[in-house]
Order: sequence, then structure tokens, then C-alpha cells
Amino acid sequence: MIKTALDTGQLRVRDAVVVEETPLKISDIDRNAVEEAVKLKGQDKAYGVTVLKWGPLQKKIQEAENVLREALAMGLDEAYLVADEKLLNASHLATAKAIAAVVKKVGADLVLAGEATVDNYTGQIPARVAAELGWPVITYARELKVEGGRVVARRDLEDHVEVVEAPLPAVVSVTREINQPRIPTLLAIRAAMKKPINRLTLADLGIGVETKISAAYKPLVIQRKKVVIKDGTPEEKAEKLIQHLRQEGVI
Amino acid sequence: MKTLVVFPNKELLYAASTLGGEVAALVFSQKEAEAVSGKAHKILVAEVDPRLPDAAAEAVAKAAAGYDLVLMPSTKNAKTVGGLAAQKLGVELLVDVLSMRAEGGVLTAERYVFGNKAVAAVQVPLPAVATVAPGRFQGEPPAVQSAVEKLALAPTSRLKIAAVEEKSRGAVRLEEAEIIVSVGRGFKKKEDLQMAFELAKVLGGQVGCSRPIAADLKWLPEEHWVGLSGKKVKPKLYLAVGISGQPQHIAGILDSRIIAAINNDPSAPIFQNADYGVVEDLYKIVPILINKISKLKGG
Repeated sequence: MIKTALDTGQLRVRDAVVVEETPLKISDIDRNAVEEAVKLKGQDKAYGVTVLKWGPLQKKIQEAENVLREALAMGLDEAYLVADEKLLNASHLATAKAIAAVVKKVGADLVLAGEATVDNYTGQIPARVAAELGWPVITYARELKVEGGRVVARRDLEDHVEVVEAPLPAVVSVTREINQPRIPTLLAIRAAMKKPINRLTLADLGIGVETKISAAYKPLVIQRKKVVIKDGTPEEKAEKLIQHLRQEGVI
Repeated sequence: MKTLVVFPNKELLYAASTLGGEVAALVFSQKEAEAVSGKAHKILVAEVDPRLPDAAAEAVAKAAAGYDLVLMPSTKNAKTVGGLAAQKLGVELLVDVLSMRAEGGVLTAERYVFGNKAVAAVQVPLPAVATVAPGRFQGEPPAVQSAVEKLALAPTSRLKIAAVEEKSRGAVRLEEAEIIVSVGRGFKKKEDLQMAFELAKVLGGQVGCSRPIAADLKWLPEEHWVGLSGKKVKPKLYLAVGISGQPQHIAGILDSRIIAAINNDPSAPIFQNADYGVVEDLYKIVPILINKISKLKGG
């Protein structure tokens, strides 16, 4: 599972949040998921799937394909892009249904994803896909082993780490710590141009979609005072900083 | 309005009470049931291991029947349980909710999005599931009569927890710290961090760090890591020392009252996100600060 996420680093937030003009990129932690898939695939095939969440559709399809090419260059064999007007800003319910349908179509027995995506950071899709497929889910895995039809993972929670086992098929979401994603070689990038990217609509997958979520975005503006102390000796600067912080009543 | 609180705590029960109507709590042991007695109209007890998300989600999905909203904390395990339960119930899940109101069958909630660069006001139809960001709902849940009920279910889980390892957790509780001195790549070697610990000590604060210090260099354990994928903090003073101020780091310190920064690079992005910035070599100014502040505190 790869999220073709909004590149929030390039998001313009001066007056309004312009989602439509923000380019897509691979959601950072999904690189770790791709790396893990490539490491684990052995003689089998590894597929990438993404559901396009951000419009306008025609413009973003090209960007999403470029994102998938990147994952193919890392070593995936084939990619699926679910692009449908009805899936733009769709409910998470619908997104999970579309992903689960592709998982069934390719006959995968292990689904990997990043723990959360860089744009919305909700981290709910792995659990939802697992529920949709009726498979067990292990979230926040920082280490993963697959042996004898089982996955064993170290699940990184706030205060402790759990060693969790589940039978395959299963869904696993991974953290950044699980591996160091490879940087594709030029050769691999060229080879990826020949790998198939299959574009699907909801009709192709035979699923319907219900409610849309409505979301209004506004820039998060927290005005900081931006007082910069740059003149004087270190001694004088330290004194000025302390004075300011005392005036604020924080020290 | 009927709200079901899962993994109940004071904040969640208070948040539920602000929506009006009936508040129920789903707990996973008798002991937890006693802890919420008098704080929810109904207490449902499901005897399942809540560490197993699939079993817990089964209990949530069953208990949620007839409720408009299921509220949970924004912990990693609760979010997993929430995702599973929401898909089973065919409803939406909003995570890390900052504020919310329910009106005319619609839940409107605010949450940070896009690397905390924007706030989204999201509307989803009820019933729905939401996880609440910590520290946003401060108040006492009203005292009520509680009826306790056992939730009959035979939980099944395909997960097996083979071992649990406690994370080494010193006295570090960054989420609760009032003053944080945070360190970044401006420090040249691990031993130099001692300066930051001294500064934190004289200020009565704790030490945080940026991602490279915890994740790449591993100079400090991850419990010190502040940022979007680390701890989100809300101290009254956040003093960033030798931190450049990448967006992912800024995203973790938004709720700080005052941000001060020390960096020798005047173009470091941290200065755009700070109330007070000092352009100076940290190796020169930190010892001076330690000295001055300890004198200040001493008399």
C-alpha cells in the first residue's frame, strides 16, 4: 500500500490552503513499507497499490504514476492505481474497500503500509483494510519476520514494545525504524519504466462508494514574535534572552 | 446524543459530557469499571484483552450498537482498535481531534493536517468514531449514577503476544514538562549534550531532541524525541538549541507557549517559528546561560 500523498513540504499556506496545486509524492513511511516488501518477496511478486485521494483527477493521475514508478524502481514488480472521481476526498471506508479489492485481485497474502501518511496522518487505513479482508493486523512494526506461514513483529507502542505473532494472510503497518529504504540505481529506474502500472476504476473493482467526507482547510497560523537577537557579545545576547524570558514569565 | 467512551479516562469522559445526552463507558476489566463508577451513565464490561486490537474491536463494534459516537484516546493501540471497529461498523473515524461538536446527525471536528501546517474542519455523518488529542478537554465529568452491565461475547483473536518489553523510561515525561531544552545537530558530539542537561537542570526542565539525535545518531533514547513522529509537547518554554527547525520538528512544538531558539545560522528556519531567537554559537552561549540562570535561581 502506497499513499500518493500531498507533498506537504510544498504546500502553500499563506492565505489559503491550496490542495489542488500541491504536488504528490510518495508518503515517506511508505518507502519503508516498499523496502520491506522488496526484502521479503523472495521468488514471489510484490505489488504496489495506491488510491488517488486528491484531485483534480486527470492532473493527479500523471503525478501518481510517477510516484508508483519510484516504488517500482525500488523493486516492486507491478503497480495498481485506483483512480476514480468518486474516490477523491472519499471516506476512509471507501478507500479501504478499494485497496482490499485490489489485494484480493492480485492474491497477496501480506499487505504492508507505512504507520501513517504524511498528509493526513490518520494511520487508520491498515486496520480498515484488515477488517475489510477479515485478516489480522499488526500496527507500528519496527521489526518484521515471516516464517512458516506466520509473521512475527516487534510492535512499537508508546511505553512498551510487544512481540506479536499472527498467521498469514495479514496486514502490517511499519515505522521508519524498520529499515533504510534503498535509493534506486539508474538501471533500476530505467527498468521500472517497463514495469506495468494498471489503472483501475471503481467499476473495474465492482464496488460502490457511499458518503464523502467534507473537509475545509485553513492555514494553521501561530504567530510567533520572531524577535532575533544577533548583535553583541555572547554575554550580552544571553542577558537579553534571559530578560525576554523573564518578562514572559516563563523562567 | 449517546456517546460511548472506550478506554475511558477523565479527559474523554469530560469530552463526552460536553456533547450532552447519555455517556457510556466500555472497559475491559472489573478494576477499570470501578475506576469510572459515578462518571458514566452506563458501564459496559467486556472481558477481553484490550492489547489485542481485533478482540477489542469486536467488543467495541458490539457495544457501539445504538450509540451516535464512539470516543477513544489517541494512543497507537486505540487508533488501531478504532480503525478496525469503524470499518466493521461502516462508519468514519477521525483521529487526533482537537475540538468537536455534534449537530443534526453530523460530527464536526477540527484536527491538524498536512504536517500540522493546516487545520481541517471535517464533517462526517453520525454514527462515527473519533480519537481525542490529549490535553484538549480539561474538566471534570459530572457525577452520575452508573449502571454496570456485562457485555456477553466470546472474543477471538488471531494475534498472540509472545513478549512485552518495557521501554527504558527514565524520569522523562516530555508531554507534561513545563520547560524543555531541546537539542539538535548543532551539537558536535554526544558528550556535549551534557551542557543541555545542565541548562535543563538549572531551569527545572527536561531535555528533548530532534529526530537525528534520537533516530539517526542514537545519542538519546527515543523518549526524548520531539516532532511529528516523536512526542508532541506543550511546555510554557521550549528552548531549541542547535535545532534547524525542520517542518516535522515544528509540528511537534506548535502548542508551546514561548519558543526560544539558539542557532549560529541566521537563516535557520527555527527563527521563523520562534518568539526569541539568538544567533550565536551554542558552545559559547549555553555555558553563559547556565551560569547566569543558576545565579538568578540561587538568589
